[in-house]
Amino acid sequence: MPAVVLGTDAFLSLAKATSAKHGLPHLAVALVPHPLGGVAPDTARAKADAILDEVLDGLTTDPAPPVSTASAGPTLVESPEDLDAFQVWAMEQEWSDGLPVLPPTEARVAKILGRRAADEAIATLAPLDGRATLHAIAVNAALAGAGPEHLPVIVAAIRAVAKPEFNLNAIQCTTHPCTPLVIVNGPIAARLGVAGGPNALGNGHRANAVIGRAVRLVLQNVGGARPGREDRATLGHPGKFSYCLAENEAQSPWEPLHVERGFPRDASTVTVCGSEGPHNVNDHGSMAAETLMAAIAGTAATTGSNNIYLAGDPLVMLGPEHAQTIASSGWSKAEFKRRFWEAARVPLERFSADNVARFMTIHPERFEGTGPDTLLPFASRPEDVMVIVAGGPGKHSAIVPTFGATRSVTERVEG
Amino acid sequence: MNVWSPFPGGGRAQVGRLAPRKPSLAGLTIGVLDNSKPNASVLLHRVAELLAQKTGAAGVRGWRKPGASRPAEMIDDIAKSAHVVLTGSAD
Repeated sequence: MPAVVLGTDAFLSLAKATSAKHGLPHLAVALVPHPLGGVAPDTARAKADAILDEVLDGLTTDPAPPVSTASAGPTLVESPEDLDAFQVWAMEQEWSDGLPVLPPTEARVAKILGRRAADEAIATLAPLDGRATLHAIAVNAALAGAGPEHLPVIVAAIRAVAKPEFNLNAIQCTTHPCTPLVIVNGPIAARLGVAGGPNALGNGHRANAVIGRAVRLVLQNVGGARPGREDRATLGHPGKFSYCLAENEAQSPWEPLHVERGFPRDASTVTVCGSEGPHNVNDHGSMAAETLMAAIAGTAATTGSNNIYLAGDPLVMLGPEHAQTIASSGWSKAEFKRRFWEAARVPLERFSADNVARFMTIHPERFEGTGPDTLLPFASRPEDVMVIVAGGPGKHSAIVPTFGATRSVTERVEG
Repeated sequence: MNVWSPFPGGGRAQVGRLAPRKPSLAGLTIGVLDNSKPNASVLLHRVAELLAQKTGAAGVRGWRKPGASRPAEMIDDIAKSAHVVLTGSAD
């Protein structure tokens, strides 16, 4: 049936990319001036007159069909030899994340691939339905500075983000600041040197840096989420350069994430979460689980959080010392989740009336019968809260909220 | 120096054909699929209402996705119940 898409001018590139992805680049898009959100309904209504003829035309006039632009297989291109010139050129080609990239030469890509079948299809990636073959992943890994040893982890992470429950199209295109956080479990973490101890989310660890970076470059270049175009992040966050760590299994008092999810302890896995940046929990005083919970739950229960709006499976990243304090109080991981879920709540009265009105429109079932004292939880159920132990010595933990309309996915690392 | 392009080769969506446009909207039902973004419903319904006045369309019927990042599961129902459709993309 004839359709016309309405949007605001700031989001034209995303509307065009989405219609092109579905093979309909000639679908009519009628634009009104941005924004539509946060303005009075009368202001929004007044924007209708200016696009009326355009919408009518889109429903009643057949456009000329465009020419197909589908390309053939992998393409070799001529690039500058000089490494500094290569950086400028790579930015012009929209290949880079802004940091220096290494040239994906035939020799380097062949070395990363080894004996693997280059044309093996791993996933189809949103928003542009790009085919992530092993070759395409290896080329991006080469740009990121990864070696052959990192490829299996990168491939597992790409399989994971393509699972429907991860909701990759939304993660890639949303205005919210989120990106896949890659959590590595099992023996491969130590083998590759993926850090889960001191400064695990910071600088100084090659495996963390190149794995997270390669995943992001695959999402940008193969998935087609170009910053400011299909990737509509208002601010983004620094983890969009690279966001990868290992769980500190050796210093966890509980079973690690992959065991909790049904994998043997000696299996290696990656778990991806559509995550915001980490929000620190500093508590040097509390000596028991009950008292430490005030700082942990208080950091999570904030009014601007997508998990309060949309639930999902947010992550609590406990530093080993905090985890030890909690376990010493006799709490299992499940007990921690239950107590956290009960404590990390925001009363409805802390949101503006305009915001509450919007909640009611979007989730009438969730907000039916609510009042100012209603407490909104950080997740729908205790078991949706993710918990890992990570980091080095010190009395810090982190809350890592997610996009909300996404679920973390764990995949085994093969090979 | 020759380097591999990091973009996906092949497999991109082929160009499809749009549904034939209607010669006029007179007597037809205009569908509105609201994507739940703020004021999307206001703008979409205002445009549909003005279109109906201008063209003599039979009426307007509305549907709402539960969120912009959720799929439109009601798409078959829309195809059965309306002749043309207006929807929103992103914010």
